Parts: sequence; C-alpha cells; structure tokens
Amino acid sequence: MIRIWFLFLMLTATVLADVGVPDMSKSVVMIQIVKQGYNYTTPWKQNATTGGVGTGFIIAGNRILTNAHNISDSRYIIVKKENIAKKYPAFVEFVGHDCDLALLKIADESFFIQTIPLSIGDLPHVNSTVSTFGFPMGGQHISVTEGVVSRIQTDIYVHSGADSHLVVQTDAAINPGNSGGPVMQNGKVIGVAFQGLRQADNIGYMIPTTVIKHFLVDINDGRYDSFGSLGISLFAGLHSDSYKDYLKLPKDTEGILVTSVMLNSSAEKVLQKEDVITKIDDYAIDNDGMIAIYGTKHFLSEAIEQKQIGEKSDITFWRNGEQKTAELTIQLNRPVFEYARLYDNPPGYICFAGLTFISASRNFLETWGNEWLMDIPHTLRYLFSNSQQLNKDPLLKEYVILSEILPDEINAYAGDFANKPIESINDVPIRSLDDLKKAFENKDVDFYILKFMNSDRPLPIEAKKAHQRNDSILKKYNVPAWAFTGEKI
Amino acid sequence: MKKILTNTKFTGFGNLNFGNLDLFRISILGFSIFLFLTSAASAKNDAAISETMKDSLVYLKISYYGYEQYQPWRNTNLTEGWGVGIAIDKNKIITPAYNIANAAEIQAKRFGQNEFIAAKIKIVSYENNLALIELDANSIKKPLAPLTFTGQYKKGAPAEFYWLSATDQIYSGRGYLDRASVDSTPLGFSKILTFVAANTSDKTGSGQLYCIGTKPLGIAGWSNENKEAGIIPAEVINRFLSDYKDGTYNGTGAIGFTTTALLDSALRKYLKMPADMQTGVYVADVFTLGTAADILKTGDVILSIDGFPLNPYGRFTHKQYNAIYYDYLITSKTAGDKITFDIFRAGKKQTLKTTVKNFNVSDMLVPWYDLDSQPEYCVIGGCILQKLTKTYMAARGENWAAKSEPHIYNYLLNSAFKPTDDRKSIVVLSFILPSDITLGYHGLSQLVIDKINGMKISSMRDVPAALALNPQEKYDVIEFEFDEPKIVLDRTKLPQANITIAQSYGIDKAANIK
Repeated sequence: MIRIWFLFLMLTATVLADVGVPDMSKSVVMIQIVKQGYNYTTPWKQNATTGGVGTGFIIAGNRILTNAHNISDSRYIIVKKENIAKKYPAFVEFVGHDCDLALLKIADESFFIQTIPLSIGDLPHVNSTVSTFGFPMGGQHISVTEGVVSRIQTDIYVHSGADSHLVVQTDAAINPGNSGGPVMQNGKVIGVAFQGLRQADNIGYMIPTTVIKHFLVDINDGRYDSFGSLGISLFAGLHSDSYKDYLKLPKDTEGILVTSVMLNSSAEKVLQKEDVITKIDDYAIDNDGMIAIYGTKHFLSEAIEQKQIGEKSDITFWRNGEQKTAELTIQLNRPVFEYARLYDNPPGYICFAGLTFISASRNFLETWGNEWLMDIPHTLRYLFSNSQQLNKDPLLKEYVILSEILPDEINAYAGDFANKPIESINDVPIRSLDDLKKAFENKDVDFYILKFMNSDRPLPIEAKKAHQRNDSILKKYNVPAWAFTGEKI
Repeated sequence: MKKILTNTKFTGFGNLNFGNLDLFRISILGFSIFLFLTSAASAKNDAAISETMKDSLVYLKISYYGYEQYQPWRNTNLTEGWGVGIAIDKNKIITPAYNIANAAEIQAKRFGQNEFIAAKIKIVSYENNLALIELDANSIKKPLAPLTFTGQYKKGAPAEFYWLSATDQIYSGRGYLDRASVDSTPLGFSKILTFVAANTSDKTGSGQLYCIGTKPLGIAGWSNENKEAGIIPAEVINRFLSDYKDGTYNGTGAIGFTTTALLDSALRKYLKMPADMQTGVYVADVFTLGTAADILKTGDVILSIDGFPLNPYGRFTHKQYNAIYYDYLITSKTAGDKITFDIFRAGKKQTLKTTVKNFNVSDMLVPWYDLDSQPEYCVIGGCILQKLTKTYMAARGENWAAKSEPHIYNYLLNSAFKPTDDRKSIVVLSFILPSDITLGYHGLSQLVIDKINGMKISSMRDVPAALALNPQEKYDVIEFEFDEPKIVLDRTKLPQANITIAQSYGIDKAANIK
C-alpha cells in the first residue's frame, strides 16, 4: 500500500469542550513562521518564502516544544498566547529533524509570566482517552479534540523521510491544525501531534514521550546529536527451520539475521553477514525482529532508541554454531547517500568554470518533482537505493554530483555529464566537495581530467583557461563564491 | 538498522504487475503501431489500382499467443491482429517482423479468393523488422505476382501506399518522403536505414506497400501520432532476401561499440589530435559482441569507416541520403563482409580491418527481446528463477524502466551487450510462490542470483547443474547479489513440495531451459 502522509502544519481542527483539563491557554502557544529553503540544484540561491502557522507548548525551563517541521528553514518566528495580542519573536534553540522536535526560546522572558509549563508523561495505554490541543490556521482560540489511542508502533517520520521511531496513533479528530500541539492525558503531555495519513479517516499520529525524552536528554550537553543505530542491516525472516539448521542455530532459538554491516560502524569489526542476533541488552529477539517492551512487542530498534549516541548495547549472537556476546556502540551511521531530507543549513557547493557540484542528497533528488523517484536518472536512483551495497570505499564522504552547468565557452560540451557523480580528477579520487576544491586549487596542471561514474568519456577542462574564465562566470551568474563547503551538520 | 525500516521490499505478489505482452506491444519505444486498425474510411478505392496490385498484396490474419513474463508457464490471452503481406515470390511474401512477433497462427487471404491460406514463417529479423512468410502452395489457386523493389529515395517526392483489406478491397493513400535516416526498429536494438514518409493520409505501420511512381519503394514498418510512417526501404528488403537466398540467413551487421560526439576542442587536445584534424567520433564504450568489438578500444576516435569520413557527430555523407549516421555503414552490411576502420589512437592514426559481425539476441547478457518462445525459467520449491531479458522488465508496463529495481535495470543499461565467458546471462529470482518450504522468504523478489550450492550462476543452464552438486548435503542453497539472506531448501522435502506447489499453483512445466 502506498501511504500518503501529511504534516499537521496550518490546518484546521474541531472544537470540543473537555472537562477536567487545565487551562491550556497558559501552556499552548501559536507559532507563526516565515520559511525559506535552499535550492539544491543552484545551491547559493534561496527559494521563495512561505508562511505558516503551527502550535507549540511551554515546558520547564522557559522553553517551547514544537515540531521541527514547523520551524525548519525558518527565517522569522513569532510566538503568541491565546487571548493576548502581543507577539514575541522567538528563535530555535535546538532542533532534531530526525525526530521532528524542536525547542524554541524567546528573547523577552516576560513572555513566560503567568504561563504554566506542561510536564511530560509516559506512554499511554491503547484504548485510553487523549485530548489534543492546537491552533487551527487563522483561528485565535485553542481547539480541543478527544479520542483514544488506537495503537503504538514504529513508523516513518515523514519530515526527514528516512527515520523511523515509535509513533502513537489516535483517532482523536486531529484534522490538521495541531502540528506541534500537545496531546494530553491526566494533565500530562503524552505526545506531540505531528502527522497523519491522507487517504485514511481518523488516523493521526503523535510523537510519544519516549522520543520526546530522548530529545530532551540529548540536548542536555548543549548539542543535538540525533538518534543513533548499530549500523547493521537485518532480515527478519528466520521462520525457515532449514535456514536455521544451515546457520547452525539451535532449533528453538529465535533471532534476526544480519545481512550486512555498515562501513565505519562499530559493528564492522564485530558482526558479519549471517550472524544471528538473539538478544539485545536484556531483550530477547523473536523471528520477526520484535522484542517485548512497554508491555507489548515492538521492533528491536526500540532497544536502541532509548539510548544516546556513544552509549553501548550488549548483544548476543550466534555464528557458526557458537553463541557469542559483544558490545556495540550506538553511532550516527548515516548512509553515504543520505536518505533524510536536510534543513536549515545552506548546502555546500563548488562552482568552477561554470560547473556546479553539490553533495548528493534527497533534497537534490526531490527537485525532480513529485514523481522524483521515477523521474531521476538511473545512476542517481541506483546510488540512492543501493549506496550501502555499492560503496566499498570507507573514505568516501559523499557523492559529488554535477548539478548544473552555467553556460560558458569553457563548459560548452559538458552537458552530457549533468547529474552524474564525479569519480576522479586527474585520477585522484573525489570523495567530498573538499577534495574537489583541492583539485581545482591545483593550478599546476594543463588539464583537469574529470571522470564521472558510468561514463568512459572524460571531461577535460583546460586549467589555465578555466581559472581565467572563472571570475567572470561567477559574476555573470551572481554566484557569491566559487566554493562553499562549510556549515555541515 | 534504519535500512530495513525504510527500504520497503516487494511483497511477493502485491506489487508485481503480471502484465502480458499486449501492453508491451502497444507502447514499446514510443512507436505506435496501428496493428489493430480496421477502418480505412479515407482511403481511395480505384479499379485500376486493384487491377495492378491484386496479385501482389495479401491480407494476413494473425493470432498471438505469447507467454506471461511473470508466470512463464502460462500463455498470455489469445489476441488477434492483422497485417499486410507483399509478394516477393509466387508463394512467398514479406511483412514487418513486428506483425508476427509471438504469432501462433498466420493465415493469408488474397484478392478474390475467399478461403484463407495457411502461412508459415520462414525467417524473421527483428533487427530489420522483416519476416519472410511462405504460403501453402497447394492452397493458392494461382501464383502470386512477385514485386521487385526498385524505387529510389527522392526527398519530398510523393509516395503512394497500398494494402488489401479484410473485406477484399484494395485501398491506397499518399505521403511525402521526408527524410532518409537510420532509425530504431520497433523491437530491435539496431539502427537501420529507414525512409520516413510525412503527412501520410492514413496510419500505415502494418506492412503497406509504398511506391514511388510505379516502382515499389518499401513497406511500412511503423507509424506515429505525427502522421509519419517508417518505410523499410528497398535496399534493406533486397539485402534481407539475398542474404537468405542460399538457405541460411547470416543477418545484418550489429554494432559492437557506442560513440559520443567529439566537438569539445579540449577533449581533442587531450587526445593529442592535431589541430587540423576536425573529424571523427569518440568511442565511449566497447561491447563484447558485435562488429569491431574485437578491434576498438574506449578512447579511440573513429575517423572513417570504409573510407567514408565521419564528422564529429558520427555522420558521413551518403551520395543519395546525404548526412546520415555511421550505423548505416555497419547495419547495411551482411555478417561476414569486410570492414575497415581508420582510427586515431594514442596520438597516431591507424587502419584496422575486421569482418562485420552479428549475434543472436539470446547471446546478449540481457537479451533485448525474447519473442516467439517460452521464457527460460525454473521453479524450485516455489522459487521462480528466470533469465533476465528486456522483455521481462518491460512486462511491468508503462514506465517500466523506472519501475524496475535499479540493480536489475543496471544490467540492461550498462552491460546488456557485454556477456563474458564467466557471465553469459543474468538469472533472477522473479518471486516466490508461497508454501511451507519457503516460510520466511515469501517477501523476496527481483533479486539477482549469484550462486547455487556454491556454484556461480552464469546462465539458466547452470541452474540444474548446480542443483545436482553436493549430493551428500542436506540443503540446496541459493545465494543472491548484494546483502540478502540465502534461501535454504530442504532436499528431502523438495520433491514433494515441488509436486504440491505445481498442483496448487497450476504449473504444468517445472522448467524451460534451452
């Protein structure tokens, strides 16, 4: 089934009276945002501005918790309370795009006078009643809806498009409007409303407090590090007794099969293909890869989700008939071709001789439009889908792509190479934009011989001429600098 | 960790399109072939024309019965179409090969004779889009009047076309010769000489006879929405017929390399070409099959072929057709002919001689088409192993290239023409027919087979050989490319499982291996 997701930014909700809930006007705030993202093909350019309205709520420490998607790529943020006209400029203190949470601060702390911070509760029980609070677009009053917790499971967070965490599904009519708003039970926050399913009725999702607490602990050291992983790919399907026997796994042992180990991960030297992990910390893993946690079964990732990057997990696994144990460190472990959408930071680039190079990202692929996964060139689709299997170079930092050609006589014949990943210049491998910068800074060659992936024809650029032409090209096309490789997350 | 949560896999049946070849027939390569065209309202019917053409045109009724690509033990739905046949002998006709792809039965009808005549395919060339068909001599009441193709291309000249309808009418119409070029045929990989008629008064793509004046010029091989028709010209037809004259068909030359334009003066300098050398085309890739694959290297510059200089786009000047692509210099030859390349390599000019080569489409690493026969497959424990072909991929329907898994499509795109002794073809796990023996594996599909029982799989023929290995072992083990689990099948349970699966899923033939 193809599921069409939406985020609850700027949409409407039904008003319902709810008895027994504290005066939420002292805790729930409206957030007005002006956004402006970057153009990932022409990376020094910014897109048109858009406006939006979302919800947030006050938590301890004079902070406002909201969704990351409310404030991503923001240029200006205003926060206001219900029934009070004054608008307060706010700024982002921390943002976790992978878990769709952000904390806002307000310069004028008088904002917090007579406000009540909400406290964070626990995971709700399935079928228990919850209330959601939020600001419908243009409305001045907090709207309340009520419903029950329908189920709790691991699912994708659409803001990044790549990360999965626990979500709580509710049938509370959170018809879009409550993005970033609190979902309450017994006077405590049990979730942040954040996304829904477009073609289903009454399926709304909230970020549970397990994820919220992880985010709040993460930032304690003054920096958001995001969720980590073990860096292994798994196959949940050891239902075949033959396969178990072949792997020399005792018959009644359940577990999950390792199909690959990520380059540079802490698992790289510990685990290998065809190991079967049977236990993580104190959780036994079943043949579907599930563990018993929070009174039910969840995917084993839940054992890692509780931990911060740098913490360890003990695993028990079987290899060749022997049971072994090992300790793995939770790390960021991102694929070399990042699946997740990027926000906030201007993308790095090199623009030399009119050839614009960027780092391959989902944002770049999404410039192909709604059907981007179908419409992108094959090589990009292949790398995006299989970079973990295709890349054998542990030093490769990113795929560098020729994203655009600013026409000039020096690059008149480079058109065939557009959207291709570069592999080397003068046979020196290009593993990052920094490598590319260094290659073009070397003026001691006659030609830069650019070699691209899946192309046997090189692109030679006359070095002297290219350097002569470079300034006038940058000027003509209003490129602020020929190289920008800083400000990486 | 994150990978299994974000990388959705095929769920066996759910996402597969069990499309049949009919989908593929309508939209392949952007051509629209109006095979099922039945009305001819705008055509003229002229008694004089009927008189001259009546013994040279036949109507062909064709029944199609191909194979499903995703369950290859099944036939596709029976469909019917028609085409035009042109007499080239007293009981032989030609028609575009496209008309008869996957034909199960062909019957011919000639003017003035009510009975259908049984017809048999003698030779097919999808590369030339031509088929030679023999009509049952005993059923023909009088010999056909063979035509000789002698018409010459003349730009802008009007060309009349003719065909015999199902209702015994000879119709005609007109178009104008717009260009001579090398063009892809609807099914083939070669680019062959094609005359394109513009502004045709009817859609003609089913073998209609085109004449210039009274001289037969060619037959219509395709048509498109722009009122254009691709005419298979006299020279292609005559070569096809003379090639077959000795009873064996050698086939036309296939190109064993790809080129790109060589306009970039920086690239010329880098290749150390003298400043006054402004001709030639860059060899971007060399195959392991086809003409000149044995002599060219990536990075060569082809300056001329058989003495015809190539411009930087790869065109040469033909006395009749003007600037056309060099493909013509190879695809207008017959396999075995001699051919000479003048090239520029490593700073020097060289002359290389070789013979024109051809290959069977089945010799490709990923065959461009798989027609007229059952796809190669093997079902073991419900796992459907199949030979990868472009036809298999195209069965996904519209936008099949983007729908195909990139790791599979990559073989077609980057190495279809590069089989090696170690890798003759690609064998894939199409999908799994669920049963107990594959419990836990049912979601696996569209994976490339690497090894079976430790043996590298290079062709379908390797599959039974590999399954026979290690008789002392308890399991058959199938390994895939990339990071996938292995499929481990219990040999003691396999024979019974194979029977049960065959019965419950209606598989009448467990394997088709050539």
